[in-house]
Amino acid sequence: MQPLKDAQLGAFTFFASALPHDVCGSNGLPLTPNSIKILGRFQILKTVTHPRLCQYVDISRGKHERLIVVAEHHESSLSDFQKRGNKISPERVLQIAYEVLEGLAFMNKHGMVHRALSVHNVLLDSKGNVKLAKFGLYHMTDHGADVDFPIGYPSYLAPEVIAQGSFHPSDPLHHEAPRPSGPKTDVWSLGVLLFELCAGRRLLHNIDINERLKFILTLGCMDDIVTVLAEEHGCLEHIQELPENVLALLQKCLTFLPSKRPSPAELLGDAVFDGVSCLYTPYQKPVSLFSSSLRCAHLELPEDIGDLCKGDGDDYLSERAINEVYNLWCLAGGDLEKELTNKEIIQSKPPICTLPNFVLEDGESFGQGRDRSFLLDDTTVTLSLCQLRNRLKDVAGESYFPLLEDEQSSLSHSNSANELSATVKLPLIIRERDTEYQLLRVILFDRLLQAYPYKKNRVYKEAKVDIPPLVRGLAWAALLGIEGDIQAKYESLDKDTPIPTDRQIEVDIPRCHQYDELLSSPQGHVKFRRLLKAWVVSHPDLVYWQGLDSLCAPFLYLNFNNEALAYACMSAFIPKYLYNFFLKDNSHVIQEYLTVFSQMIAFHDPELSNHLNEIGFIPDLYAIPWFLTMFTHVFPLHKIFHLWDTLLLGNSSFPLCIGMAILQQLRDRLLANGFNECILLFSDLPEIDIERCVRESINFFFWTPKSATYRQHAQPPKVSGDNGLGKTTTRYSSDDQDFPKTDLSREPLVLLELKAEVSPRISAEDFIDLCEMSYAANNRSKASRPRIIAVDIRSAEDRGHMSGSINVPFSTAFGTDDEVLQCPATGALQNYRGRVVVVIGHAMKSASAFAAHLVKVNFPRVCILDGGINKLKPTGLLTVPSPQI
Amino acid sequence: MKKIKGKASNTTEKEFVFEFKAGKHNCVLKVPLLFPVQENISDLHGRLMLLHKIPCYVENELKVSLSNFIEKETILDYDREAELALQRLTMGHVDVNQLANAWTSAYVETTLEHARPEEPSWDEDFADVYHELIHSPASDTLLNLEHNYFVRISELISERDMELKKIQERQAAEMDKVMHELGNTLSDHDVNAVASQHFDAQQVLENKWVTELEQVTCIQKQEYQEWVIKLHQDLQKSNNSSQINEEIKVQSSQLSEPSDSGDRMFEEQPQMEESFTIHLGAQLKTMHNLRLVRADVLDFCKHRRHGSSGAKLRRLQTALSLYSSSLCGLVLLVDNRVNSYSGIKRDFATVAKECTDFHFLSLEEQLEEVQQVVLYARAQRSSKQKDQPELPRNGSDDKSKNVERNPSNILPGEFYVSRHSNLSDVHVVFHLCVDDNVRSGNITARDPAIMGLRNILKVCCTHDVTTITVPLLLVHDMSEEMTIPWCLKRAELVFKCVKGFMMEMASWDGGVSRTVQFLVPRSISEEMFFQLSNMLPQIFRVSSTLTLTSKP
Repeated sequence: MQPLKDAQLGAFTFFASALPHDVCGSNGLPLTPNSIKILGRFQILKTVTHPRLCQYVDISRGKHERLIVVAEHHESSLSDFQKRGNKISPERVLQIAYEVLEGLAFMNKHGMVHRALSVHNVLLDSKGNVKLAKFGLYHMTDHGADVDFPIGYPSYLAPEVIAQGSFHPSDPLHHEAPRPSGPKTDVWSLGVLLFELCAGRRLLHNIDINERLKFILTLGCMDDIVTVLAEEHGCLEHIQELPENVLALLQKCLTFLPSKRPSPAELLGDAVFDGVSCLYTPYQKPVSLFSSSLRCAHLELPEDIGDLCKGDGDDYLSERAINEVYNLWCLAGGDLEKELTNKEIIQSKPPICTLPNFVLEDGESFGQGRDRSFLLDDTTVTLSLCQLRNRLKDVAGESYFPLLEDEQSSLSHSNSANELSATVKLPLIIRERDTEYQLLRVILFDRLLQAYPYKKNRVYKEAKVDIPPLVRGLAWAALLGIEGDIQAKYESLDKDTPIPTDRQIEVDIPRCHQYDELLSSPQGHVKFRRLLKAWVVSHPDLVYWQGLDSLCAPFLYLNFNNEALAYACMSAFIPKYLYNFFLKDNSHVIQEYLTVFSQMIAFHDPELSNHLNEIGFIPDLYAIPWFLTMFTHVFPLHKIFHLWDTLLLGNSSFPLCIGMAILQQLRDRLLANGFNECILLFSDLPEIDIERCVRESINFFFWTPKSATYRQHAQPPKVSGDNGLGKTTTRYSSDDQDFPKTDLSREPLVLLELKAEVSPRISAEDFIDLCEMSYAANNRSKASRPRIIAVDIRSAEDRGHMSGSINVPFSTAFGTDDEVLQCPATGALQNYRGRVVVVIGHAMKSASAFAAHLVKVNFPRVCILDGGINKLKPTGLLTVPSPQI
Repeated sequence: MKKIKGKASNTTEKEFVFEFKAGKHNCVLKVPLLFPVQENISDLHGRLMLLHKIPCYVENELKVSLSNFIEKETILDYDREAELALQRLTMGHVDVNQLANAWTSAYVETTLEHARPEEPSWDEDFADVYHELIHSPASDTLLNLEHNYFVRISELISERDMELKKIQERQAAEMDKVMHELGNTLSDHDVNAVASQHFDAQQVLENKWVTELEQVTCIQKQEYQEWVIKLHQDLQKSNNSSQINEEIKVQSSQLSEPSDSGDRMFEEQPQMEESFTIHLGAQLKTMHNLRLVRADVLDFCKHRRHGSSGAKLRRLQTALSLYSSSLCGLVLLVDNRVNSYSGIKRDFATVAKECTDFHFLSLEEQLEEVQQVVLYARAQRSSKQKDQPELPRNGSDDKSKNVERNPSNILPGEFYVSRHSNLSDVHVVFHLCVDDNVRSGNITARDPAIMGLRNILKVCCTHDVTTITVPLLLVHDMSEEMTIPWCLKRAELVFKCVKGFMMEMASWDGGVSRTVQFLVPRSISEEMFFQLSNMLPQIFRVSSTLTLTSKP
């Protein structure tokens, strides 16, 4: 979005029309409230950016179908001229006309029509340039169908608009909405507006609406409308004195028949503007982050770089994008309803005074007077930024321009840095509401993302701290490594031709995260449909499984106006975390996944594992929707965001840790209950504390050896060659599979064998890696890896062992009743409780049995060395103790 | 439910023709397009490229000519439509005056700029004043004043009851005497004469009391309102609010004389109640409170003895929220006549008259208004049905006949609403019409009474009634045929339906937390109550208790 500059934020409010009582849609589901329809249609307006249009920022729903729209605002408008009563020079009139037409033509390109053009809605910025306000009202209300009030002002209505009639729901004679107005209606309105400017008085102001409209309709029989109007208003002489081209312009605009009237685009190229058009350069849309063209292709630096810094003063806040400023305004305690109530735009009656007297069985109510507070007052209220500026007055100027290259200095020198580092330690919920913190984070991310993909590693690093909600969509895209011309790719997919999956998609969409306003809007449904179809069509080897809709939801929500990005993110996400989950026959993939999950439970929480196995409550019964939808089916969006902020940093086995963390929160109840209660508990998952869930899953991840979650059906390692710049290879993100396979890696197991083993296996490679860490660096205060203890279960006579391992011969450790026998070796084992126990044996069978015994007696973090001692023999790491003396 | 009609399709098909050269071949692409074009042009373009295997070197050319074509044709369509409309006007198919009137009324009815200026509404001004005062230190005074007025009415009522009792006793004695003489000196005729004389005397007395009470109520209301306005003015005038506060305090101490003359006030009887907190919703959950209460429905209306535990607080609570956006409502089950002559309706009217309503019209006046509105609604309905004969008539013919016979009667499932400021726990009473059907065992979720409940909940959403009390068994009194299985079946039905409606409500109001109280008659057994309170958590998902542990 454009920077705020000298603009202000403004808000206006209106009511969507109430739905008829008790009517349902064609699919049998309740109708979408009109306010939600408007909210959905509004979204696209945020992307309509042009210097002649007031930038739309946000829309919010209030009680009883109230909508509040936030947009760029300027205090002065063309109506100021009228109030002062002075006439404007013809040159200025031409300029204004040209600028208005620029805005109109741009809107028309986006398929929008203003319809509410009037002197109030043509604002002037501080340089006197035109900014059209409320240009999206006609679009967002579906050509006025979703609101009770007519859009447009009586004096400015084009004759054809009047002729097509007004649509008013209370009028039983009009069942059909009038046809939408075309772009040329605005040209008429512009004509009226220009005439008013030239004449210096308001048109038809002092006669009532009825007569006014009739008068406009009678203009059709007149030859020269401009003259007629001038005579009517007693300013004929003045109008006739106007320069030729202004008069021609007026006549062109005020052409009665639409077919003879030029469209805004045509008028823009007309000869009347010959003297003016050279002053303006056409608007260039900035290149988006993901595109095939060079982002800096049009960058032109001034001769002297110093010029860039001049003249901006020290109001750095106004250099930030409008939506950023609005977001901060909200964080700094801004409340739209309160602002509007203070200005008496929102007036509400006590509800007890507006109750109906009588309600029929079908819900129609009677005896309710028409509430005056529901009338339209479209005054725009300026949102004062004082409070925000006050709040941010201590933020140093440098903070607005963080240096990215010099990592040391970026966080140290400024005053607020200390404060910032203190804030980092606060809970995420608080950080997300902290104005200063969000300001700095958003600025940082904004700059990093502008430098994407070059700064990919840094994005990753900062995302570990947190991701500011405002930039989450792009930040996720960066974390998923989206690159290239996604728009072209998305457009080339066929999203219209019917496919067999359509029916299922159609059924699922109205049931997916519908508590959310965006996703439940008709626009949301359309986008859902297109995204899902695009994915299905572009992945012929995969199929649509129920759950894909939930998976799509967070991406669609975050990139509502950028379907291509949502599609790209989804397409990158699925192979990374859900490789082959959407195969037509996905049972082997899911079975393996769930088995590994069971092993994880046994590894981290043997007590829970024992209980669940005992009552037969296996992951197949509850965890499939968790993993298949990456938890999007079980959590509301706001929790998914926090969960995925971390998930996206982890590798494909991180979801297993999240699953563990969820189980941990329900642990007490699971342990206390039997099968039936557990089923009930999971059928409607209780509230989960998501921050704790994230924290614990990171902890589980830390304690899990990488190869313990090895799955043969996971995504195979990528063929080398695509490791572009900035390949992240930290422990978190790299998959076990990312590394080339060696002799010491894990061997794939048949599913049945895998299922038979209670504890996970780890690879020799992993084992050696961990050994080195735990034995070499155990004096370090903060271990970056889990500490392990190797347990050699061969009989004591076997030669060659891992240094640092303890020997607990299998035969001596367990009694007949599974209890641990008391012997020195098992005592030693108890001392190491809490460490990762790696069981090493000759045969896998005995090692597995030994591990199972340990789990049975609730020994945590037990795993088996894959391949046993034989795998270690070639490494030369085994030592033979010198014979005891 | 009706399905909404699809918009009439005003689409026309036009053919887009695109010519290009591929090597030596001249290729022509013809695409039929439906206007107005709904789909995204980029998508259409992508699909054409894919489907017809268009060579990539004409990609941009195709895109430009496609969008130009669509743009041009769309404008032509607009022009055609617009001129058609203008033509209709000049040809006289559409009346200019009618058209202009429609526009004018649209502007007048929906926009503030063109709306007729509002006549000042005394009710709303009073509402504002009262709401301000009750949230100020003056609230105590207001409550005491209200209470004193209440005591005055109570005294009058007990006086009336006394006199009525006296006259009844006297008449009974006289009648005894007359009966003795029957056959001796007096004939049947004489006895009848005495009886009618007695009746008349009683009527006269009752009427006298009715007028007296009405007068007192009227005077009280006027005095009260004047006093409130004056107090408000005083408060506004004086900058020194502390002084006023003292004034008020003095006044209040004068006013709050100990008053024990409340013979007619009701003893607190042990109620049984159990509360639950539930979460509704699949992913995003909203919390609601549910309460199962065994009590008499009028317990929520009657004032308890002043000074008894919490009575004043309760009263303050009700007064504070009167003009707020958290109202309390009550569902009262009534028969099909809008009056207060019999049964629960009369009992309710009695309670409503025990205390002057200082804010709203008296119950009788409100009911009169409702009767008017019912007649109006019937007239509207029948004219609508005449207009649209294709509309299916809701309900059986039997029902509509009933309406035709007596249009002022209401039908099962319909309800009227009364507003009160003088009841102890509720502001709004929904009088839901039910028939004898609810006494039988086999009602379904489509029963009018249940639909009525749904509509009541809907009104609760639109008018900020956040606490609603619903008779769980859809009856106020137990009778023979209501066996344990009957009760369980009925409770299950109502629980499940209300749960469904509450989930639906989340989409109406965006998930506002509410309190729903399920009321069961006082006459059910404790055991039954416990069975019901066991059933509730099975149907609603009760949230688990929060376990606080020392673990981080």
